[in-house]
Amino acid sequence: MTIPHKILPWLIFMIVAPLCVLAQTSSDLDLRALIREVEDQYTGKSSHALMTMQVRTEHWQRSLKMEAWSRGRDRFLVRILEPAKERGVATLKNDREVWNYLPKVDRTIKIPPSMMGGAWMGSHITNNDLVKQSHIDQDYDFSLLEQTPDFWRIEGLPKPEAAVVWGKIVYQIGRADRVPQRIAYFDEDMAMVREIIFDKVQTVEARRLPMRMTVQPLDKPEEQTLLEYEQIAFDVSLPENFFSLRNLKRR
Amino acid sequence: MLLSLALRNIWRNKRRTLLTVSAMVVSSALLILALGIFSGMLNDMLAAATEQYRGHLVISMPGYQQDREIFNSFVPDFVLQEELDKDPDVLGVSPRLRGFGLLSHGQNTYPAELLGIRPRRERQVTNLGKHLTAGRYPTEEAADAALLGRGLAQKLGVEPGDELVFVTQAADGSIGNDLLTVTGIFATGDTTHDNSLVLVPLAWLQKVMVLEGKVHEIALRIHRPSEASVLADRLTALLPGQLRIVTWGSLMPELQEAILSFDASRLIVAVILYLATGLGILNTVYMSVMERTREFGVLMAIGMRTWQIRLLVLSETLVMGLLSLIAGCSLGALMTLYMQQVGIDLSRHLTPITYAGSTILPRLHAVNEVGNYLLPAVMLLIIALLAGWLPARRAAKLQPADALREE
Repeated sequence: MTIPHKILPWLIFMIVAPLCVLAQTSSDLDLRALIREVEDQYTGKSSHALMTMQVRTEHWQRSLKMEAWSRGRDRFLVRILEPAKERGVATLKNDREVWNYLPKVDRTIKIPPSMMGGAWMGSHITNNDLVKQSHIDQDYDFSLLEQTPDFWRIEGLPKPEAAVVWGKIVYQIGRADRVPQRIAYFDEDMAMVREIIFDKVQTVEARRLPMRMTVQPLDKPEEQTLLEYEQIAFDVSLPENFFSLRNLKRR
Repeated sequence: MLLSLALRNIWRNKRRTLLTVSAMVVSSALLILALGIFSGMLNDMLAAATEQYRGHLVISMPGYQQDREIFNSFVPDFVLQEELDKDPDVLGVSPRLRGFGLLSHGQNTYPAELLGIRPRRERQVTNLGKHLTAGRYPTEEAADAALLGRGLAQKLGVEPGDELVFVTQAADGSIGNDLLTVTGIFATGDTTHDNSLVLVPLAWLQKVMVLEGKVHEIALRIHRPSEASVLADRLTALLPGQLRIVTWGSLMPELQEAILSFDASRLIVAVILYLATGLGILNTVYMSVMERTREFGVLMAIGMRTWQIRLLVLSETLVMGLLSLIAGCSLGALMTLYMQQVGIDLSRHLTPITYAGSTILPRLHAVNEVGNYLLPAVMLLIIALLAGWLPARRAAKLQPADALREE
């Protein structure tokens, strides 16, 4: 097929012009900073939260009540309050390490690298989510896919040298309050495998925050994990050694 | 008359006869030894897979052996267990529960496969007790005893008496965890099991996994592993509900194929080895027939028929073949016996090889099997007769008048 010479410049213009517009708008918007904002929305400088987690699988469903603390993006401690049988089971995240404390046997165990893909507390959240989530804005490159009056759709592709879990991440972020609406996770074959949906947006200490997130594995539509914040406070003061193994073992 | 003539002919050139016979003896004896070692290797492989882990027959819910899904469990039927215990073809019956999780000691944590067993029953099915490198086999009474593979023990840095923490996701979604005490360490040479398998008390694992009263499989050891599928068909009638019985062969089809192809590979080895021996015999018999051309002429002249000449030459090789067969089988049996009792340990030079879902151990070790004697013996006679056939035909075709004039 040959394209008449008079039409070709027009074709080029029509293809390139919208790209220029897109490039224009995306340079106004710092995508990396926006993603960082989204990924850090529940932690801030430091935080203290009460939350419930409901996990539903094919074979069982259960509900956990938990208390969580964090400092920056690299320190995180969560303790189970209910059910009684598991009260005191705790997880400590310290940089890229994850430790679990088991009160029944009074021992801490470090999750080995080979098991970081395993479920955290039986939910659809993995240990890797706890560790690598906070590095997403460093490990991925972002580009704006689409913008509507309501939201931006931003695509994250892993940097060539980064050791990452997901082949692609697509964020849908509300423009009005810069709050995530949904995040889609793709595997290395670019098949969508998981989606997180955020809702119940409230204002907490002058921030807009979705109080509930639903983790939906796409290969098991009947299963999901619902994580809901009942209370969350930011910029709380925590002792220096709060995120230590010793404190993890405190009952 | 022919036979005594044949015997006398054989002893006429003692050196040549001895050389021919010894060629046959050595080749058949070596063949018997080689087949014995080959059988030994296959036996090792079958034992590594069944007697160290799976059992010969396994009863479980449909699909469990493929996905090992924790929820695919069942309550073992008491009547079924009694029936199995009573069955004369069944040597051992062991109900088991399997759990995957993390095993931790100090700073070290590794994934592991826990097999909940009742020691007294498990010992009748698998023989890990024979492969202990430290400690001892758990007793029926020990509530938290763990027997683990050497590779795993080394990675965790534990010895008998040390404590282990096990964490898993139980069947109700909760975080199952409890302590174990190392009582023994085994080393089978099979790296998969040595690096991940842990035997623990059934009741302990049922509690941790929140699967009280349930098991994932019942493993059986049987009298004749080679006839596992026949027994499986018979036992299927006993199974209640959805339970299925599978044989080691269907669990490890590659291993079954390797063992089934033994008959063919045995034949190929025998043919190659005997081809060389056969040519040697042919040469000798030809020589002796050529030398005796005049003699055959005389025999024919005094009235011996051509079929008698032919039979005479054939019985000469047959007698040599029979002699070699007796000596060869005896020598082969002696060497096989030595390799069976003593064997050669290669573990300093070789590591175990994982093959066809099992493990080839780094040792030369033979077993005695009737087939390993029958085939070399029968083939030796056939080869001797074939090698005698051509010279016999030649001798029979001689014209008495020409033969007599031959110098």
